[in-house]
Amino acid sequence: MSSDLPERLTYGEWTRALKEGRLLGQACGACANVLGTPKGACPHCGTRDLETVELPTSGEVYTETTVMVPPEGVEERGYQVAVVQVGEARVMGRVDGNGGEVHVDIGDSVELTGYIKGEGDDPAPLFRPAD
Amino acid sequence: MTRASVVGAGMTKFGVHDRPLQELFGEAAFEAFDDAGVEPADVESFYFGNAMGGQTENDTHLAPKLASHVGIAGVPAQRYEDACATSANAFKNAVQAVEAGIHDVVLVGGVERCTPQTGLDTAEMTRIFASASHRQYEQPTGLTFPGVFALLTKRHMHEHGTTPEHLAHVAVKNHEHGTRNPRAHFGKETTVEAVLEGPIVADPFRLMDCCPFSDGAAAVVLVSDEVADSYDAPVDVTGIGHATDVVPIGDKLTPHVTQAARDASAQAYEQAGITAADVDFAEVHDCFTGAEVMASEAIGLIEDGQGGPAAAEGRTSYDGDIPINASGGLKAKGHPIGATGAAQIVELTEQIRGEAGARQLDEAEYGVAHNLGGDAATTLVTVMEGRR
Repeated sequence: MSSDLPERLTYGEWTRALKEGRLLGQACGACANVLGTPKGACPHCGTRDLETVELPTSGEVYTETTVMVPPEGVEERGYQVAVVQVGEARVMGRVDGNGGEVHVDIGDSVELTGYIKGEGDDPAPLFRPAD
Repeated sequence: MTRASVVGAGMTKFGVHDRPLQELFGEAAFEAFDDAGVEPADVESFYFGNAMGGQTENDTHLAPKLASHVGIAGVPAQRYEDACATSANAFKNAVQAVEAGIHDVVLVGGVERCTPQTGLDTAEMTRIFASASHRQYEQPTGLTFPGVFALLTKRHMHEHGTTPEHLAHVAVKNHEHGTRNPRAHFGKETTVEAVLEGPIVADPFRLMDCCPFSDGAAAVVLVSDEVADSYDAPVDVTGIGHATDVVPIGDKLTPHVTQAARDASAQAYEQAGITAADVDFAEVHDCFTGAEVMASEAIGLIEDGQGGPAAAEGRTSYDGDIPINASGGLKAKGHPIGATGAAQIVELTEQIRGEAGARQLDEAEYGVAHNLGGDAATTLVTVMEGRR
């Protein structure tokens, strides 16, 4: 699997993977932090020695909120946004609330179930409670 | 050590102002000029903050426009943008310029119009505020700015047991303080029960946990240490720290500790030769109640995890042992984005001079301002003291 990972992770590669149901991140070769989104250099130590890594698609809710007053362009309200710990990295995504029936709390297990399209069709990870 | 001195301060009432940015800013700037006793010809440079004028009212290249309006056209004028920390950053650069001997007398300030009455409606403004979150990795989730601080606060609640009641006490305190400030957007008291019954904006925040959209301006005249004694009531800037944290939130090491505030306050205290224990009062960036809790801990005024209980117990009230946001803070005084950092400097100046009227604190020798921008990824902390 690792042979098809891009040497230098970009936004385009990250979104392409997301649309395939995968989460890509970067492991720092110097300070050992793992990033959930692509950078040109490690934000914690500055090295450009970043290796593209496959992140787990299931993890635990690190923090979450339910947005009741949405920005212009978002029609619904009452949707949940969460930062999810996936392995050693964290990524932000939307929780699939199934029309308000599903809610997750900090520490709950969730898994990637697809993606939603935000402004300009930019994708964001979509999570649901893990079975 | 004195790095620079504020010798004149002015600000408009925060609230709804149906007049152009230059006229709004002019009121604050002329008040600062008159307070300092300077004429436009004395001013050598202009450090200006406005965060969103291009997005909200199609008004950019504002520094020379405002300079022209207040009689200082011709001087070097620069505009800063760092989300809600916009005018604190303008102030920092001004401090560095006078300290370095580049200028002796400068004007610093900010202006912004954010109210639905004079600009865009709530949904439009919510979208514009969200532009400070990461364009690719946060905005597509539908995250709002109340949501940003909700994510940080929820984790703080999880780690430390902070409760919605604790958060409500911050709002109640700052509203009570706001009743003492004639320039506050809100001059009305509220109760914990009323806060907890409000509609949810982004949980745990209800409407009254959130600061308002405000219009307003603030300005100060800043001079070098060498010339400060020739003015009536200089207030010295002895420390100003500035740090940034990682964006997006998911890549911050520990989001709820607001590391940039810890780094910036450590720098500021070291420059001033003080510790957090020496601080008499603070103005902190309470855009949301949870933000005040995290800030009060991050700048060392309250022990980690105790920011909520401290507010509930009255420790951070006007008459508590470490008063926070005696002005009413962003919560009650209001939050015209680009003016907020400068308005904190105005409040520190007035408190240290003993000119704060009904909200004057008994002990106000060492004051601290904490102004953050974005998801707490920019933070500036300023220490000011009376000239002895």
